[in-house]
Amino acid sequence: MKKKLVASIMAVVLAAGLLAGCGGGNADSSTGSDTSATEESSSEEESAPAEPQQAEVAEATTEDVTIKVALWDYSNTEYYKTMFDAFQQQFPNISIDVVEFTADEYEDVVTTQLGGKQDFDVVFMKGAPKLAGLIKQGHIYAIDDLIANDADFNKDAYAGLVDELSLDGHTYALPFRYDNNLLYYNKDLFDAAGVAYPEDGMSMEDYHELAKQLTSGEGNDKVYGAHIHTWPSNVYMFPARTEAFKFDDPTTYENLIPYYNEILAMQDEGLVQDYGMLKSSNIHYSGVFYNQQVAMMQMGTWYINMLFENVGEGKENNFNWGVCSIPNNDSMALGNCIGGVTPVCIGAYATHPAEAWQFIKYICGEEGAKVLASCGIIPGYSSPAVGEIFDAAPQTYPNAPEGLSKYMNCEKNLPEQPMNAKGGEIDTVFQEEHSAIMTKSITAEEGVQNMIDRVTAALAE
Amino acid sequence: MGKANNTDGQVKSSTLRRRKTLVAYSFIMPNLIGFFIFTFVPIVFSLFLSFCEWDSGNPLKFVGLKNFITMFTKDKSFWISLTNTIYYTVVTTPLTLGLALFLAVLMNKPLKGRVFFRSVLFFPYVASLVAIAVVWMALFNPEKGPVNGILMALGIANPPRWAASTTWAMPTIIGLTVWKGMGYYMIVYLAALQGISRELYEAASLDGANGWQKFWNVTWPGILPTTFYILMMLLVATFKSYDTMYITTQGGPGEATKVLAYHIYNQAFKNAKFGYASAVAMVLLAIILVVTLIQFKYEKKFSND
Repeated sequence: MKKKLVASIMAVVLAAGLLAGCGGGNADSSTGSDTSATEESSSEEESAPAEPQQAEVAEATTEDVTIKVALWDYSNTEYYKTMFDAFQQQFPNISIDVVEFTADEYEDVVTTQLGGKQDFDVVFMKGAPKLAGLIKQGHIYAIDDLIANDADFNKDAYAGLVDELSLDGHTYALPFRYDNNLLYYNKDLFDAAGVAYPEDGMSMEDYHELAKQLTSGEGNDKVYGAHIHTWPSNVYMFPARTEAFKFDDPTTYENLIPYYNEILAMQDEGLVQDYGMLKSSNIHYSGVFYNQQVAMMQMGTWYINMLFENVGEGKENNFNWGVCSIPNNDSMALGNCIGGVTPVCIGAYATHPAEAWQFIKYICGEEGAKVLASCGIIPGYSSPAVGEIFDAAPQTYPNAPEGLSKYMNCEKNLPEQPMNAKGGEIDTVFQEEHSAIMTKSITAEEGVQNMIDRVTAALAE
Repeated sequence: MGKANNTDGQVKSSTLRRRKTLVAYSFIMPNLIGFFIFTFVPIVFSLFLSFCEWDSGNPLKFVGLKNFITMFTKDKSFWISLTNTIYYTVVTTPLTLGLALFLAVLMNKPLKGRVFFRSVLFFPYVASLVAIAVVWMALFNPEKGPVNGILMALGIANPPRWAASTTWAMPTIIGLTVWKGMGYYMIVYLAALQGISRELYEAASLDGANGWQKFWNVTWPGILPTTFYILMMLLVATFKSYDTMYITTQGGPGEATKVLAYHIYNQAFKNAKFGYASAVAMVLLAIILVVTLIQFKYEKKFSND
């Protein structure tokens, strides 16, 4: 009995060693125990080859497994729980072990953890650039084979987003959410001012003019025509939608100058709150729009959900709101969408990649998309069902506009920041130069020139 | 390390000495092991890393002096951060030191409500940096802050825009650092002041010394060792500091408040250039080492006087 156990353990160890490509030299000398093991313990043999299958294409088992899922904001986000519970009902043998990190440092922490070969099965990411960085470092599992061997999986349902999450010919992630950018406006403030609502395809000049008409009052009662949040994306998103600007292509940066100058002029005229003031007071964009201090604001589609929750009858803030596409100088009305992707991927040191695939396919698929859409969040997965949920929103939330689905089915889904491993570095440059321009420490021309010089240097490395 | 002065037989003495040494080592061992694993090894590894390229995932690649050459010849941000670090240190250190000493001398006098004032001054040190930073930024808010409110009421039409201006951002952060740190160093100085013998002051009074003369001839020499200690602590703390900038300005506007430690953080954890970040860290280490050595030298010279 004891001998059998020892022999079978040795067989497993040997098999694992051989498969890992490090036990070649021992094979001959230990043939004795090897053969005895194969003869005596045929049942254990089956458990030994678990390793090679992983190396080829991982296959899900029906055994009880626990997958480790790294994400942020789990404890204060209801839809994760709804979705995870639904997943577990369908796959009772897969338990989910959630590893939560704080939202602000999430990407840095995950990078460090994966650097230490932490065995996360599923990793949520905040955007493409950092994902690209992790891929270059070898921390992410390529899912090409999993996709190829999965007949149920339909890539087309993601409107090209899966390809955007590819790097060097391999696919690494599925899009969980896709938040494009819209211009939100307060209908009540427009009605009170007797001004027509903003329309799709406005120019920056129109936008500026509209902001001027909507600005009124003094001191604490002042209503600003528009709100420019402190992120660099709140400027570059405008030309990025028409592809006049591309995040990782310095030759397109010059096109930012007119946008910067328009926004600086709006700031000088007091039509938007001052950047330096917003930054040093750490003012969140959500409050100023809820409190009706601003008439228009460019923001991602995640804000739809926030407006559902915070604006309406019986709530602290009650006004009607609408959306339109963001202004640009290339007269593009609808058509392209620009926004952030939330990719979900499998860690390179995952113990259960096959089950992890089941999981990400589920949450990024039809079922997950429905849960997200019912919470007012745009999933990466497009299906008519999702559009219907949004179009039905005014029935539940009377302050919301009709026909929201129009802004979710874009001809082209552009990523705000593409898959570029240097994305983090480019982002740092943008943050720094943006703050210098917006505080008028340097001119827009100087700032953009710095961006060109610094990003060109970073890309050349 | 317990050198035994045993006059008994040679053999006995050396056995005893060895045993005492072993006991001594066994006492310092836990600390030494901790230091070795968590401080010494990482430092040596970091030194090694500074000659490599490493993104934490792919294998290390030895590149010789490439990181240092890039740093000194190409990386403009490095020079900006270095200048900012020196600016920050050179202003913060004497300012904190001077104010701490001034307050300590003041608080050492039989003043009414002395305990209350001491507590008030010590409070910023006890409070969390995050909380303190939020308060400071609110006070110095360029549009709605009370500081600019007062300045405008005093007739200054265009008061500084503080953290929202490349010129004033660093002074704003220096002010925050000084405010937070001076209470602690005041307490250190107070302890030193109380250690000076009363008799020396009495003797000085009998010799007809005035307040200034007493300060320069009795107090100052008495607190010189403490001053050296504080100076060293402050220099090291300000050279390696980046937490304040991280919380308040994120190094901005532009790169106005980007210091070396922040640059290291960005390079390592944002850009995954661990080798390059280590190279910058080595430069910071070298600067701190040189400053500390100079100080040690002068401290010896002054103590011998």
